[in-house]
Amino acid sequence: MKKILIYFAAFAALVSCTDLKEEWQPVLTCGDIEPAPKTLYTESSLPGEVNFISITDLKKMYKSGGLEIEDNVWIKGQVTSSDKSGNIYRELYIQDETGGIDVKVGKSSLYSEYLLGQWVYVNCKGLQLGAYNGMPQLGAPPDETSTNEYETSYIDVQVLIDQHVFPGAYDEPLDPIAITPADIRTSINKGFTGELWGKLVKLDGLTYKNEIFALVYPNPNLPHKSGNPENRVFFSDKGTWGITTWAMSKNKMLEYLDTPYVTPNGAMVNPDGTPVCIWDEVEVGSGNTRYGAIARITPASVLKDGKTLDSFGDDAYLTYKEIMRKYASANYVSHYFDFGGIDVQVRTSGYAKFSDEELDGRLREGTGSATIVGILTIYNDSAQITLVDEPSISVKVKDVAGTN
Amino acid sequence: MKKLVLTLSAVLLSVLLSAQDPTGGVKGTVVNREDRQGIENANLTLLQGAVEIAKVTTDTAGNFLIPDLADGMYTLVIDAPDFLETRVEVTVNDGYVKNMFNLSVTPSQKLSDLGDDSFAQFDMDDSGFKDNPTILFGSQDVFNSIAGYNFSAVRFRARGYASESQDVMLAGVKLNDAVTGYSPYSLWSGLNEATRSKESAFGSEVADFGFGGYNGMTNIYGNASSMRRLLRGSVMTNSSLYRLRLMTSYGTGLMDNGWAFAVNFSARLGGNDWIDGVYYKSFAYYFAVDRAIGNHHKIGAAFFGTPGERGAQNASTQEVYDLMGDNMYNSNWGYQNGKVRNARVRKVHEPVAFIKYDFTPNDDFSASATVLYRFGKNGYTALDWYDAQDPRPDYYRNLPSYFMDEREDMNRDNPLKWGWTREVWTHSSDFPELTHINWDRLYAVNAIQDGGRSKYVQEERHVDQSDLNFAGSFKWRQSDKFTLTGGVSARMNKTEYYKEVADLLGGRYFMDIDNFAERDFAAQPYKLQNDLDYYMEHGKARVLVEGDKYGYDYYAQVRDFGGWLNGKFSAGKFSGNVGVKAGYNSFWREGLLRKGLFPGVDENGRNLIVDGVEIQPTYEPDGSVVTSYGKSKVSNFFTYAAKGGLSFVISSHQKISGNIGYFQDAPKFNQAFLSPRTRNSLVEGLEPVKTFSSDINWLFFATGINIRLTAFYTAILDQSKVMSAYDDLQNAFSNFAMNNIDERHAGIEFGLKVPTRIVPNLSLQTVLALGRYEYISTPRMTQTLDNSAETVMENVLVPYWRTTSLHDGTVKQHYVPSTPQIAASVGLSYNYNYWFIDADVEYFGESYLDMNPLYRTDYATAGRDLNATDEEILYMTSQEKFDPAILVNFSVGKSWYIHRKYQLGMNINAKNILNNRDVKTGGYEQTRIVDNTVNNERYYRFDPKYFYMPGFNYMINVYFRF
Repeated sequence: MKKILIYFAAFAALVSCTDLKEEWQPVLTCGDIEPAPKTLYTESSLPGEVNFISITDLKKMYKSGGLEIEDNVWIKGQVTSSDKSGNIYRELYIQDETGGIDVKVGKSSLYSEYLLGQWVYVNCKGLQLGAYNGMPQLGAPPDETSTNEYETSYIDVQVLIDQHVFPGAYDEPLDPIAITPADIRTSINKGFTGELWGKLVKLDGLTYKNEIFALVYPNPNLPHKSGNPENRVFFSDKGTWGITTWAMSKNKMLEYLDTPYVTPNGAMVNPDGTPVCIWDEVEVGSGNTRYGAIARITPASVLKDGKTLDSFGDDAYLTYKEIMRKYASANYVSHYFDFGGIDVQVRTSGYAKFSDEELDGRLREGTGSATIVGILTIYNDSAQITLVDEPSISVKVKDVAGTN
Repeated sequence: MKKLVLTLSAVLLSVLLSAQDPTGGVKGTVVNREDRQGIENANLTLLQGAVEIAKVTTDTAGNFLIPDLADGMYTLVIDAPDFLETRVEVTVNDGYVKNMFNLSVTPSQKLSDLGDDSFAQFDMDDSGFKDNPTILFGSQDVFNSIAGYNFSAVRFRARGYASESQDVMLAGVKLNDAVTGYSPYSLWSGLNEATRSKESAFGSEVADFGFGGYNGMTNIYGNASSMRRLLRGSVMTNSSLYRLRLMTSYGTGLMDNGWAFAVNFSARLGGNDWIDGVYYKSFAYYFAVDRAIGNHHKIGAAFFGTPGERGAQNASTQEVYDLMGDNMYNSNWGYQNGKVRNARVRKVHEPVAFIKYDFTPNDDFSASATVLYRFGKNGYTALDWYDAQDPRPDYYRNLPSYFMDEREDMNRDNPLKWGWTREVWTHSSDFPELTHINWDRLYAVNAIQDGGRSKYVQEERHVDQSDLNFAGSFKWRQSDKFTLTGGVSARMNKTEYYKEVADLLGGRYFMDIDNFAERDFAAQPYKLQNDLDYYMEHGKARVLVEGDKYGYDYYAQVRDFGGWLNGKFSAGKFSGNVGVKAGYNSFWREGLLRKGLFPGVDENGRNLIVDGVEIQPTYEPDGSVVTSYGKSKVSNFFTYAAKGGLSFVISSHQKISGNIGYFQDAPKFNQAFLSPRTRNSLVEGLEPVKTFSSDINWLFFATGINIRLTAFYTAILDQSKVMSAYDDLQNAFSNFAMNNIDERHAGIEFGLKVPTRIVPNLSLQTVLALGRYEYISTPRMTQTLDNSAETVMENVLVPYWRTTSLHDGTVKQHYVPSTPQIAASVGLSYNYNYWFIDADVEYFGESYLDMNPLYRTDYATAGRDLNATDEEILYMTSQEKFDPAILVNFSVGKSWYIHRKYQLGMNINAKNILNNRDVKTGGYEQTRIVDNTVNNERYYRFDPKYFYMPGFNYMINVYFRF
């Protein structure tokens, strides 16, 4: 027994020898040794020769169709966007004193790595300056696919991000700039170089127009570009279509699809006794190509270029409403507000965490006006606001009489 | 015994009858070289030139005597089962009986210690892919003894069967995992000495210790008196798994006072030459004691465990391997402070304790009973993240193929991004932060979060067993012609599945919410809760710190009861057996957390009210409420099996035998629930698995020659399988439950070992496993989502599972994957003067990739245009066949006696000497589809992921015994 104990003691001493373990085991097996804090860039620590220009000066370099920047040009700005709420996706807005810009850092959850107010330096050489329906964007050179419609693409390769987007010091988040309708007009008149585009702004005194715009693809898996109006349902021209939320998640969309149409005399019913729903009258198609209301027509019942729609397969015999139920997904909604005679859309993604949040009833009833904070963008000569934070923070409503 | 008595009597009689002339002879004791124990029933053949002079067999102590020899020179050939043939030159002089004293023979067991630590820990996520090879034992059997060693490198599965079908027992208790059926070798990894003594049966044979299935069985004795009576220490290094193994053991054997003690300790440490991030820091301990009480009773107990951790290897796509220029690339690790850190680490300590009682009232009856308990922790770490970028370096969006693809339809054409991603992967040493896990970034992100909420954590997924077993068996030898064996067993298993926060990676806390649910139900905070009861009580999600359980927590409850009887008979040259087994199997899930997505109803059956809103439950097809909490419906299965075997002795050198069996086995818990992490829902139409198995064998054995030829046919019907993966079409985490999977396994096994006669002590050994293991049914599949009780696809056919069938009539069969259907080995074995040298060449072919069912549905083949062309069907449904492989292995061993008391030995194994680094050992298809194509006509597959075998690798083992 003594022999066993001696042998075991020797064995235990051998295997517990720290030096031996280190030698044979170059492997970290615990999380105790934490890495040093991340190094943030300063202007002096940026690699190579740095030539800063203002964001507005960068915008002035734009050429129709987009421009790949070949000069040693840098911009710097503070972060004004956060994708925490999900309303901004794969985009980072920065601004300096002269303007703001959408840097298309094509990664999700950027708010975890770029804090509001943090300085960011962008080496523009090799990036692409482009426009999306008039909105300035700085991204990677566009895809060369035959179907590409964009002047830029996402900077979604990490090595490109590392070479072009340099995180700098943390700073206080910027306050939104209070702007007037005249300021917006000025920017709209300037077009692409309008200094407000991409900036964090505050608009006061907005009134709700009880009008929305949305575009839903009944079967999102089938072609739905503008050349395929048979797979597009436009919510426009006619008020809000019963939509009372900032956008609609998949479940909310299903709810809206079956919301009954109620008049002062009660719920309307079809001849067969089924309720008439608000969305039953919304039409398939776009522009002058309209096929009919979603509750009454099937793809098989309509003709396109003289032929029946065969791309819907077995679904061709379902009504469009049934198809929309089958393929329901989250959808954005744009709400129209009046801002001193200018239409301003508040466009919200269906994937935003607050998408199903209700608009304040006073806005819908016309008894309240709103102060809205968000990123101002341009979309085909119209101003749009993108909420960065949830409406309870970004949208303050007061009674028209002036009381909160 | 009878033979021995007859032999010795004959020898004695002949000595007495012819006492005068001649008077010389040879005597001695045949002993095992490893422990100096005498070997019973060793055959000794005395040759003079090529003429056989005499033939005797040793007695129980290993003694022999060959009398009546004339003076002269002889060759004594010693042949004992399980030992290498040994030849000794003997000279008889002056009419004396020459005493050879101890003649030691070397066990024929191969040099490597096989066990689960012979195989890398692979990381399969929830792919449904299994990679457990069969571990073949039984050195008595020429096929198993050679194939068990030579085929292990390619994760060979005997007869193409899943490894779960092999019964692995300890002290008479079947220890295959109660929930999954997996082999339990990891419980005793590193305790090679304590578990060395074992008995095995192959195919559908019935053994005295158990009834078994159709894939053989092994019973490890595991008790103190079965361990060799010596003190042994060894040091081993190998280049494919870990740097260093230290092992020591000591056994007293059964001492005169009736006691036996045994201990075994080991440590396996370090990384290896081939796979970065794979390492061991594993220890093992074993204590056992036996006490014999008189001649009829023996009681023993053992307690052992293998605490430690080991890094896992991950599979990657061929694109990644090619870019890295390394098929052994492992995406699981990254540098942290300059050291390798693996995100996927298996951390285990599952002690096992048992007490065994043996009762032997007489030579004709014996019985034993064992109570065994397994408990402890089994964890497996992984990264988890909330609202943050995917940290996996080989995530498909980080690869060149995501940015450019020759297929225009894929709509991927950005040369700049393609070029840069390619640059990164082809110059990985310049971009270690991008081609491996970037731990620094994970810490940096956590460090800047407001309040210290971690975005990235390391979780530890636990499968903690509490496994209580009872097994009893008996053997009654009624006469020389009939023996009855039988047994009963009972098992109560409660396995807790949960995960805990293992490392906050620099942050201060994490939240217990379901981030998949958050995307869909952000407006309904209760649905995001992994612990709704906590939320209802506190009005907020649970805040987690390191060590807290989170995510999911449930018990898999399993109860098994069974019994078996087997009668063995012999009549003249015939012998055979007939056996039956019956059992009752129950299992259910017991949810310990109420998940917000599937809250069910309260304890009174009323709807829950959360945040002032009444929650309407959803319902199972049978009308019961879908819930994550509490006890699920209990699944009960009556199981039974019957076996028969018959053998006929053709001559003293030849035997023919056949076995037939039918088995009805219960499905396992892990095949029975749609999404056990989220709810109690059972797979619809769960059926017992039915297996018909048959084989016929021809055996030939003579001095030094050993041959087995077997033909087998097995049909396995009504299997089920559940796998989980992200589904791009549903944008959700999805579960695929398949049932009605039928397989047919047919083939031959051939093993041959024969002395060359050209060179003394040189043998030719060859094995061949030639099979056809194929799918023969069209299964059905149900697809569900973790986020919803709705069914995406309900019981749809998977028409291309069995074959790829085209409109033009072409039909291509699909095969059971992950094992070669042709495996062959030809080698030479030389042993002389305690040197043994083996060299062999192996061929492996007809190995196939594991398939996923989604690609074999009409849904996937038709694509968006709902039209499946032949080209699309061929592309989507074809099963990949791996290239054949040729391997060359070499091993050498030698032992020396020092002062006839100590023994020093060494083994060197060199495997894959040709350094073939392109041998796929397995892999699986990702259950993901590229759906955003330009033409919207078809879908594309994601690339499959593979595991490769290491190139040239070696093992050096040095041991010392005294």
